[in-house]
Amino acid sequence: MRAAILAAILMAGTTLAARPVAAEPFKCPRTGGNFVFGQEANVNSLDQMTSNTISTRNIAMNVFEALTTRDENNNPILDLADTLTEAPDRMSYTFTLRPGVKFHNGKPMTSADVVASWDRYSKVGLDRQLLDPVASWEATDPGTFVVKMKAPSPTFVEKLSSFSIPMVIVPSEAKDDPPQQLRTIGTGPWQLDQSVPGSFVRLKRYDGYTPNTKFEQRTGFGGYKQACFDTVTFRIVTEGGARVAGLETGELNAVEDVPTKSVERLKANKDVKLLPLLNWWIQIAVANASQAPTDDVRMRQAIQSVLDMDEIMDAATDGNYRLNYGFAYPNQPDYVTTGEKTYNQKDPAKAKRLLAEAGYKGQPLVLLTNKDYASMYNAALVAQEQLKSVGVATELKVVDWPTSVQMSLKADAGWNLFFSGWGTQPALGALATMAFLAPPAAMYMPKDNKDDPDVLAAWREMNTGVTKEIRKAAFGRMQGALLEKAYVFPFGSLTKVQASRANVQGWVPFRIPRMSNVWFAN
Amino acid sequence: MWRATLRRLLRHRLFVTGLALFLVVLALAAFAPWLTTADPTKLGIRTKFRPPSAEFVFGTDNLGRSLWSRAVWGARLSVEIGVAVVVLNAVFGTLVGALSGYFRRLDGPLMRFNDALMAFPAILLAIGITAVLGPSTENVILALAVVYVPRTARIVRASVLVLRETEYVQAAVAAGASHWRILRTHVLPNALAPLIVQLSFLFAYAVLTEATLSFLGLGAVPPTPTWGNIMAEGRQYMREAPWIITIPGLLLMMTVMGLNLLGDGLRDVLDPRLRLQP
Amino acid sequence: MIRLLLERLAGAVPVLLLVSVVSFGLMRLIPGDPSASIAGLSATPQMVAQIREQLGLDQPLLTQAAHWYGGLLRGDLGRSILLGQSVFWATVERLPVTIALSLYALVVTLVVGIGAGVLAALRQNSWVDQAAMMVAMLGISVPNFFLGLLFIIWFAVGLGWLPTGGYVPFTEDPWGWFRTSTMPAVSLALLNVGLLARVTRSTMLEVLRQDYVRTARAKGLPGYKVVGKHALANAMIPITTVVGIIVSLLVSGSVVTETLFSIPGIGQLLTSAVLGRDYPMVQGGLLLVTALLVLVNLGVDMLYAVLDPRIRYGR
Repeated sequence: MRAAILAAILMAGTTLAARPVAAEPFKCPRTGGNFVFGQEANVNSLDQMTSNTISTRNIAMNVFEALTTRDENNNPILDLADTLTEAPDRMSYTFTLRPGVKFHNGKPMTSADVVASWDRYSKVGLDRQLLDPVASWEATDPGTFVVKMKAPSPTFVEKLSSFSIPMVIVPSEAKDDPPQQLRTIGTGPWQLDQSVPGSFVRLKRYDGYTPNTKFEQRTGFGGYKQACFDTVTFRIVTEGGARVAGLETGELNAVEDVPTKSVERLKANKDVKLLPLLNWWIQIAVANASQAPTDDVRMRQAIQSVLDMDEIMDAATDGNYRLNYGFAYPNQPDYVTTGEKTYNQKDPAKAKRLLAEAGYKGQPLVLLTNKDYASMYNAALVAQEQLKSVGVATELKVVDWPTSVQMSLKADAGWNLFFSGWGTQPALGALATMAFLAPPAAMYMPKDNKDDPDVLAAWREMNTGVTKEIRKAAFGRMQGALLEKAYVFPFGSLTKVQASRANVQGWVPFRIPRMSNVWFAN
Repeated sequence: MWRATLRRLLRHRLFVTGLALFLVVLALAAFAPWLTTADPTKLGIRTKFRPPSAEFVFGTDNLGRSLWSRAVWGARLSVEIGVAVVVLNAVFGTLVGALSGYFRRLDGPLMRFNDALMAFPAILLAIGITAVLGPSTENVILALAVVYVPRTARIVRASVLVLRETEYVQAAVAAGASHWRILRTHVLPNALAPLIVQLSFLFAYAVLTEATLSFLGLGAVPPTPTWGNIMAEGRQYMREAPWIITIPGLLLMMTVMGLNLLGDGLRDVLDPRLRLQP
Repeated sequence: MIRLLLERLAGAVPVLLLVSVVSFGLMRLIPGDPSASIAGLSATPQMVAQIREQLGLDQPLLTQAAHWYGGLLRGDLGRSILLGQSVFWATVERLPVTIALSLYALVVTLVVGIGAGVLAALRQNSWVDQAAMMVAMLGISVPNFFLGLLFIIWFAVGLGWLPTGGYVPFTEDPWGWFRTSTMPAVSLALLNVGLLARVTRSTMLEVLRQDYVRTARAKGLPGYKVVGKHALANAMIPITTVVGIIVSLLVSGSVVTETLFSIPGIGQLLTSAVLGRDYPMVQGGLLLVTALLVLVNLGVDMLYAVLDPRIRYGR
């Protein structure tokens, strides 16, 4: 009853411990071998505290662990923590640590390491705002870690368990490692073997790993994890065609991001298993509410009413998509249906009427997109065509990804619609996603830097609402306000396809590939 | 004299082949608006990935755009870029190379500057310049000129260095001829053959480097079609829809080959030393 | 000769200084900065701002420049933002990879290019000449990334002879190195083969018509001696120039080839650094690579002086 999320966590901890040891934990049916994974992007750093890229997470999430993480269905669970107790006044959280956990350098993990890790995160961690409601943290004994709050924060544990930029636990001597330069020593089932930036990163099994016996199976990033392969090599293969080719020849055992056009051919290949990952990201465009002509709500609504999402998503994804409105997916607990009517209207007559009401006189509408992500580029091309059909003068501004990000952060950089894709945040839940559209830097560039009052009020309640239901209702209001005032245009959800060789067993598609509990059949 | 040269050129089989190929490309470029009915940027939601057929001579791409239209308009851009880069090189490359090779005093500073520019790997310098100036046709031309002029200058300088020491130049110096006259009448005409060969390559480089820049996402601003960015956009479909990348690729090869044959022919006929031979 | 060498070395210093200024300025003028690359696809504006602060990118340009040149004077090129590795070591670790690949491509270029060029010149207008020149022309007409992709599809996927990409150091496994480097090296070499074959042929044709060659022939010297000793030796001067150009072309070509075949060399390092706005990496890496190329050009110049006694340099 206290906080619904916490109940879920404690349930994971207590019920499993109470269960009789009848169910056998996972055991590798076969061990050995080198598993080669074709990864699409370079790894800038394995410092999981200061990097927010998928390429970092792909590798580092197999090496590092945190006190809490998310399970297969994105619910918070305990990982390095054995138990978590919330004080009745919700002013403190007490973690006890899982006994027997050792770092890859052989040193046993104690609460001193946890304190040091939190210290480092509070200085350099990218998502350190999540510690804003925290007053202090301390080690009360080698196995106990206590966090004291400034004020009750119902969403604290949800934020803490995020796998976006998790507060991973590292040995205390790494406390002062500068940003991006964290030594790669964690507690996970895999340890760093060799890294050749630009080419590959190889992990090897950590024989001193202590699995979490509260579980029998891997779940999400936690659970009972076992390293079955001797080594796992993440090979950087940026070219989609080359990844597919490598998979076909068997040089690569699994790959991420199979180009849609190759999927048909791979379907016919008996040596390959296709593993579609639904809802990889929300294909989206954000309006600039400070820049004419999109500073006028009627102009934005005109844009909204002409868009044909099937056409846009089809071009963006080569056909591998699902229509989806709003900022959550139907299978998620956060899913709400507010603002549904604003989606996929395909109503040129309404658009023309709204344009006339707005007094639109052919001022150019600048679509900011990039060439690095073909889906964003193609979405912009199709949207442009649709806007032209109702007489909106459009101008395509195609730059590279870093430039488009930098421009999108400035209200006066000369853009009206910024094309992007939101992946990790919607997967983490509404709270993470809505942070994009909330203070201190809402992406829709609120006029005069004053956030829309309806959006802002809903956001506050999403953070402070005492029950899950209250927070979900607040999210519904926030989504409704954002869509009805047409600040954001979510186009739909893109499906990404992973694939493996047929002899790879135990591989379950997930946002970030998990190398534990995966093995080669004969 | 001119008529004789022209007659000799027209009797040169390779030259005529090259000229024909190049004229085809020039015609595509010049008459692009009349040769195409479809707007090269017009999307066709229902005509994606059509292989070449009667309706779409060159097929369509992933967004259903007519590749015939895109390829023809791409020819215009490639020719524009190639010609501009060659002209800039002919003027500035010769100037720098001749000055540097002929006047020892200028050689040091000019070649140091040349070296500094050549020291950057070509494509990285081009990437850097287009990234700074922003992608546009003019900026690509400027970037390619900055990248290739030093290379042309070096070739011209190498010939001039040799020619400067020849007897007839020494004799002219002894006879008190002016530097300008010597350069114009004795040195440059004799340095022309390697320059022509270099310039024929250069057109190829210009077009190829533009294609590479586009391949890396830094060419002329999309959705303007260039052979480079058509190939860049088509490369991820090259196994399922190979025509998207093959058609501009073949056009590119045709253009370059035509120019090289042309250059070879010109050289065979115009180079005075070769003409002395029986 | 030694004096000349020293003079040219001293001359290289301003070149490198120029390079450092240009690359510092160039990078800062490019819109966008490395924070977007580190922050990842879906970072909040707040995270981007934090990273900028962390990297010192919110400081005035002059402060940043002072910091970079101060480090340079102490021999410290700084740390790569995107690799989390010192710029010096990031470059030095990748140099052998690119050098090995370039050498492989250079050997292919020299053997095939000069061979085809000489052969074509000796048999001018024969079918050998025309076939060689047709192939040379094909070589300079195919974009190397196009060729690379075709190679992957033909030889790696279709025939299964060679791996699709990746890299094995020569010192670890020479055969593995050969297998992973052949497609990139050949696709890298083809353009240069065409270039060299054509230049070799045209130079040889000129030289073969020179008086001293005709004299040598008239004296009744055997053909291979005429070609080898007199003609080819004299043709080496322009050929050397072209080889100098080819070396820089190989480095340029490696930019695309290394990306295509996932080879961790200099080209890939610097391209991703420029595109990701990794300021220290671009500045330091370019300086090191440039210094190397300046040395190569210097070597070419010295070769001229050796090959052609008519050139009296620098006095």
